[in-house]
Amino acid sequence: MPPVIDREKCVGCGTCADICNSHIFLHEPDKDRVPRVRFPDECWHCDSCVLDCPAGAVRLRIPLPFMMLHVASESLRRQS
Amino acid sequence: MIPVKAVLEADLAVVGGGIGGLMAAISAAEAGAEKVIVLEKAHVRRSGSGATGNDHFRCFLPEYHKTLDSILQQTLNSPIGMTRDPVILRQSLEKSFELVRMWEEWGINMRPTGKYEFMGHAFPGRLRPSLKYDGRNQKAVLMTQAKKRGVRIFNHHPALDLCVAEEDGARRVTGVLALDMSVPEPAFVLVRAKTVLLATGLTHRMYLTGPTPAYMFNTSHCPNCAGGQALAWRAGARLVNMEIPYVHAGPKYFARAGKATWIGVYRYPDGRPVGPFITRPDVVYGDITGDVWNSAFTDVLLDGSGPVYQDCSGASSEELAFMRGAMFSEGLSAMVHYMDEHELDPGKHAFEFMQYEPTFHGRGVEVKPDAETSVSGLFAAGDMVGNGGAGISPAAYLGWTGGEHAAKKAAVLSFTNIEDDPALKERMELFSSFLKREEGPDWKEANFALQQIMSDYAPAGPHRVRSATLLRAGMEYLEQLRAEAFSHLRAGCSHTLMRTGEVLDLLDCARAVLHAALAREESRAGHRRSDFRFTNPLLNSRQLNVWLEGGEVKTGFRDKWM
Ligand SMILES: Cc1cc2nc3c(=O)[nH]c(=O)nc-3n(C[C@H](O)[C@H](O)[C@H](O)COP(=O)(O)OP(=O)(O)OC[C@H]3O[C@@H](n4cnc5c(N)ncnc54)[C@H](O)[C@@H]3O)c2cc1C
Repeated sequence: MPPVIDREKCVGCGTCADICNSHIFLHEPDKDRVPRVRFPDECWHCDSCVLDCPAGAVRLRIPLPFMMLHVASESLRRQS
Repeated sequence: MIPVKAVLEADLAVVGGGIGGLMAAISAAEAGAEKVIVLEKAHVRRSGSGATGNDHFRCFLPEYHKTLDSILQQTLNSPIGMTRDPVILRQSLEKSFELVRMWEEWGINMRPTGKYEFMGHAFPGRLRPSLKYDGRNQKAVLMTQAKKRGVRIFNHHPALDLCVAEEDGARRVTGVLALDMSVPEPAFVLVRAKTVLLATGLTHRMYLTGPTPAYMFNTSHCPNCAGGQALAWRAGARLVNMEIPYVHAGPKYFARAGKATWIGVYRYPDGRPVGPFITRPDVVYGDITGDVWNSAFTDVLLDGSGPVYQDCSGASSEELAFMRGAMFSEGLSAMVHYMDEHELDPGKHAFEFMQYEPTFHGRGVEVKPDAETSVSGLFAAGDMVGNGGAGISPAAYLGWTGGEHAAKKAAVLSFTNIEDDPALKERMELFSSFLKREEGPDWKEANFALQQIMSDYAPAGPHRVRSATLLRAGMEYLEQLRAEAFSHLRAGCSHTLMRTGEVLDLLDCARAVLHAALAREESRAGHRRSDFRFTNPLLNSRQLNVWLEGGEVKTGFRDKWM
């Protein structure tokens, strides 16, 4: 859930783990080059890991219950 | 026992390296404090509510506003003005443009349109209070400025508690107990501090999350700011305005502050504007309806006339492009990426908005105009302050002035040995006991239980009420939960121990809220008492304090500081 790291692209620098607003990653370079998302449901989707990853290896997968409710704006105009 | 890894000394120990905390650290160093440290729960580069940006800085610019009074009165008479002591607001506005110039010099873009421009959060035809800026690099810039001045930053070091000494009946802060959670194995760090400045941000996670009750980190502001007011509370400092709920609004169900960055009109499903202020998107004023009719988004659901949509479709393509850029300045990039991935376009889609759960944003620690609390040597700044206003500019101001005064105070004080403080030892043993337990509920169970109790027994109005019987019942259930938490909670690593500490803080804050809500025998803003339905005009110029004295909760009204 939220942050998803592309193992191919990740350079193992640990920036995401270090700067995470919610401290959700665990980076143990001796065990795995790629940080692990240890507490996914504590992500605040602040985007820091995405913005600061030097390799562009992180993206956020926003959970379904966070869906942004919307309608076509035209539908508001049609009814007015 | 969890080991003590280090004992540090500080003229000023700043707790929380957000906007207020970093400004305090910088200003204390400028004012001559030699040992300034910042204890930060996450990493100062990207922590707190300003992590990835903000775009409105409330500011008095003489050449535009002419008189300070114009903007002062406008703020005091708005919903966010009610909780403030006017003297602090006046001082913060007086200093605001100087702070803007400072930020600009350090490399934060305070003129994204090329000139100082006031936009958003504004009534058509009136002077506008908020300077539009681009805060996307603000945390990195403030971090660099702090380091440049020799400030030592301890990331991944949340503060768990404060140490205080009693001298001639008065309390004085002497140090901080922090947790090193940089690795899974926890360790304590003790800080002997001549002065301490708390700047832990607002408090979230006390109420069930409005948009997604099962996901407690889907919040408008930083959810890792949770319960910091309790550090001051346990030290005996006075809190203020804890009973007046603050309820933010924004997109549904992706919770995020920043509604004034949207350039649209709030509309009913039939296209009618919800408020009287604008009929088409206005890049200069925005739609202030969401600020002044705070409960609109809930009202329309309950009376069936909703939902309410944020409709930007009448904006020009230039205005929409400007808004998209501003969303990056404001720290909304995750939301922009989500919209892109889902092919949502504010020019073509209208987004439903909602009210979120109550938070403690500009509710909490009482400070005097120099940012000192009622405990000597203990200062506070930012969203955790209850009488100074919430937001970027008040945080920057109180941080700045607090750092300066703390430095002056520290210059004539000496260090106190805290290692043998019995209260500190007791707290360290409590935290160690959580780690030793083989089984038991974790922090999340306790946090959800607390949210249930607060949502049921101290809810925010206007559609839910409080009363003496409900509040007293809430107090009883809270004590039951507290007893369970202290004797059974279990933590497995430094991260969950940090979360456990937050829950203990939230429990203390909840206690303050329930007692203050009981003492405010009237209805005011979101505090609706079914047994006191009126707003008492005699209390318009009064503030309600709540504090801990000899283990007892005390409350009392005082006059506002004009
Ligand atoms: C998306 C968004 C947009 C916003 N836009 C605006 C805007 O345009 N204008 C405006 O005025 N305001 C805006 N705000 C609000 C603004 O960001 C906050 O008011 C401001 O950051 C408050 O500063 P602060 O120092 O009080 O807290 P923060 O900047 O939140 O910092 C608090 C810090 O304390 C740390 N911390 C918490 N507990 C502990 C502990 N126990 N020990 C150690 N550290 C701890 C946190 O990790 C954090 O670093 C916005 C907020 C959000 C989320």
